[in-house]
Amino acid sequence: MIAIKNVTKKFPSTTALDNISLEIKEKEFFGLLGPNGAGKSTLMNILIGYLDADEGEVSINGQKMNTVAFALRKKIGLVPQSLALYDEITAKENLEIFGSLYGLDKKDLRYIIADKLKMVGLFDRKKDKVKTFSGGMKRRLNLAASLLHNPEIILCDEPTVGIDPQSRNAIFDYLQSLNDEGKTIIYTTHYMEEAERLCSRIAIIDFGHIISVGTLGELLQKLDYKQTISIIKNPFTEKYLSLFSSFGEIIDEQDKYELQPSDGLILSDFFRKVEEKGISYTFINFSKPTLEALFLHLTGRSLRD
Amino acid sequence: MTNILNLIKKDYRLFWNDKVAVALTFLVPAALILVFGSIFGGSGGGDASGIRLAFINQSNSKIARKIESTLDTTKTFQMIKSFTDDKGNEVPFDTNSIKEYIINGSASSALVIPKDAYTDTSFGLKLRFFYNPRNQLEMQIVQGLLQQTIMTQIPEIFNQSMMRRSEEYLGTEKGGMFNRRMASVISEYFGVDTSEILKQGFQSFENDSTAEDTSSSKAASQFFKDIVRLDSEQLVGKEINNPGATRSVGGWAMMFLLFSITASAASLFDERNSGVTLRILSAPVSRTDILWSKYLYNISLGVIQLLVLFFMGYLFFNINIFSNFGNLLLVIILSSAAATAFGMVLAAFSKTTAQANGLGTFLILMMSTIGGAWFPTFFLPPFIQILSKFTIVYWSVEGFLQVLWNGDGFIEILPTIGMLIGIGMVINAISFWRFRRGDIF
Repeated sequence: MIAIKNVTKKFPSTTALDNISLEIKEKEFFGLLGPNGAGKSTLMNILIGYLDADEGEVSINGQKMNTVAFALRKKIGLVPQSLALYDEITAKENLEIFGSLYGLDKKDLRYIIADKLKMVGLFDRKKDKVKTFSGGMKRRLNLAASLLHNPEIILCDEPTVGIDPQSRNAIFDYLQSLNDEGKTIIYTTHYMEEAERLCSRIAIIDFGHIISVGTLGELLQKLDYKQTISIIKNPFTEKYLSLFSSFGEIIDEQDKYELQPSDGLILSDFFRKVEEKGISYTFINFSKPTLEALFLHLTGRSLRD
Repeated sequence: MTNILNLIKKDYRLFWNDKVAVALTFLVPAALILVFGSIFGGSGGGDASGIRLAFINQSNSKIARKIESTLDTTKTFQMIKSFTDDKGNEVPFDTNSIKEYIINGSASSALVIPKDAYTDTSFGLKLRFFYNPRNQLEMQIVQGLLQQTIMTQIPEIFNQSMMRRSEEYLGTEKGGMFNRRMASVISEYFGVDTSEILKQGFQSFENDSTAEDTSSSKAASQFFKDIVRLDSEQLVGKEINNPGATRSVGGWAMMFLLFSITASAASLFDERNSGVTLRILSAPVSRTDILWSKYLYNISLGVIQLLVLFFMGYLFFNINIFSNFGNLLLVIILSSAAATAFGMVLAAFSKTTAQANGLGTFLILMMSTIGGAWFPTFFLPPFIQILSKFTIVYWSVEGFLQVLWNGDGFIEILPTIGMLIGIGMVINAISFWRFRRGDIF
């Protein structure tokens, strides 16, 4: 179990974490959802022992984690946000370098590297220089490099930033299978879809504070409504935004508007108005509210702000 | 046209925001121009000065005394007339001790005015010059300066001596006539006043082709060059296979070593920016491990680089690197360690790779210039010569010359390698302190 107790971390210009407390259970797939600059990476850096907390304490299975807890680091694998690889050498050479830091036997390491490269679909490219890889391939190699020592806990710091959907799905599937095998995974993201899809429990973090923690269902219960009306974004629907906003709060998302209905919304009234304006029903969907809506509800800001 | 102007404006804005590029464009050349300007006659310094010259005057002649007093007063040379013996006593030089003084590297050159330098019966002035030409250029300049100093200060005495000798040989009356006839001939061919020639003595007309130049002291120097005999004796390095290459290999090797080590130390930034440092530190690895690995890697890389460069010197220029190889290796290792300390301190104080490389280029060029990698430090103004001794390049070049040129043993090179160790330790202490406070990790 990972226990984070009253952790505060300050930098000269900002307080990255302000008295944070969390408990993450063994074999859990735990999500840390928050916008950029919320404090997610700082918390990950404290969890891996890269930074010391100014106040408070982090312990893993009862052992205190800090910048000198080297033995404890063997239990953890970090998938960094950046592509922490050497571009000018091959995929295999990269894994040999990072694997050697864990004191793995050379012969064992050879087998492990082959296994991990197969797992992320890069075995055939093992002798190619990393600089020739696509962004998605680098991301997969970045993940493989973190798993060579078979860690019990995997810290994924936004591991899918800037990659194609195919590689993203491959990483999701692989992380899911690792979790099924019993690995504890802590996953930071500012994409609510990722947290919703992967995580059994989620903490929402903003400005160094944990705003809310729970399962997806528990979190969404904090909203006043159980359904969201999605309106597909197009020039026609955009004309009637003021009409829609008379039924609740509108959240502008990438390809749609989400209407969070006001208390006492009468659906027949809503559809009558829509019909009067000649808006096609194909533009309107009913769905469950999202974490984005919850974040907005809790902070007054969008996750992507 | 507007587009072109906007794009030019854009480039200036980007350039101005890149402080390293600005510094490299203006500061580095300005600093180098300042140093070179000082050396070659600019506003900062002028001619070489303070060159250590061991000196004995064994002659009682008036000319010898005049030369001594002239040399004593000139700023060009720092005259050394005694040495400290084993008991700590100041002992005046004799011929043997002055030679020993040059051989052991305490000074590069010595001037001896022997007993018979100038007698009543001798025609010319005879001087002895002992030297250690571990820097050929320095020796040539010292000899030139020595002759110039003597010639420009004492021609009238010498000319009077010549006139006196003609009178001694021919008698006062005939000698006087001879001198007047000589002056008349000179006057006829060179178009100057006879009384002026007699007043000045027979100086300076021999090699001049135009009457306008007759009064110049340059011509006087040329005339006397043949009369003053400087018997030179090389005391050290006669057995060196390729003196030129042996002298220069150390300085150039050090400059390139500093460049490569600085680039390597700056890779700490690349690793930090790419996230590799974080990945490494998420393994059971400490920051101290990373620093030590960088130190040892850079030192070993530097040793390999220097060995390769010296080996190439052996292959292509026949530089004898094997006769004193143990001590050469010691200087190589310590030079490499000191250069590594320099690279690491740059990394510790810089914030980006570009900053480290830019600052590094500036400092390396400056250190190479004032440290003696490109030309001897005696060219430099005195205050820069003092600064030279604070550079790694100076002590490395000294060490390489001691080992390769003088064939010095461990005891002899101890002060030099001690300086390299000292400078390296001070820089290391600063960089460790800075690494602990900095944000490279």
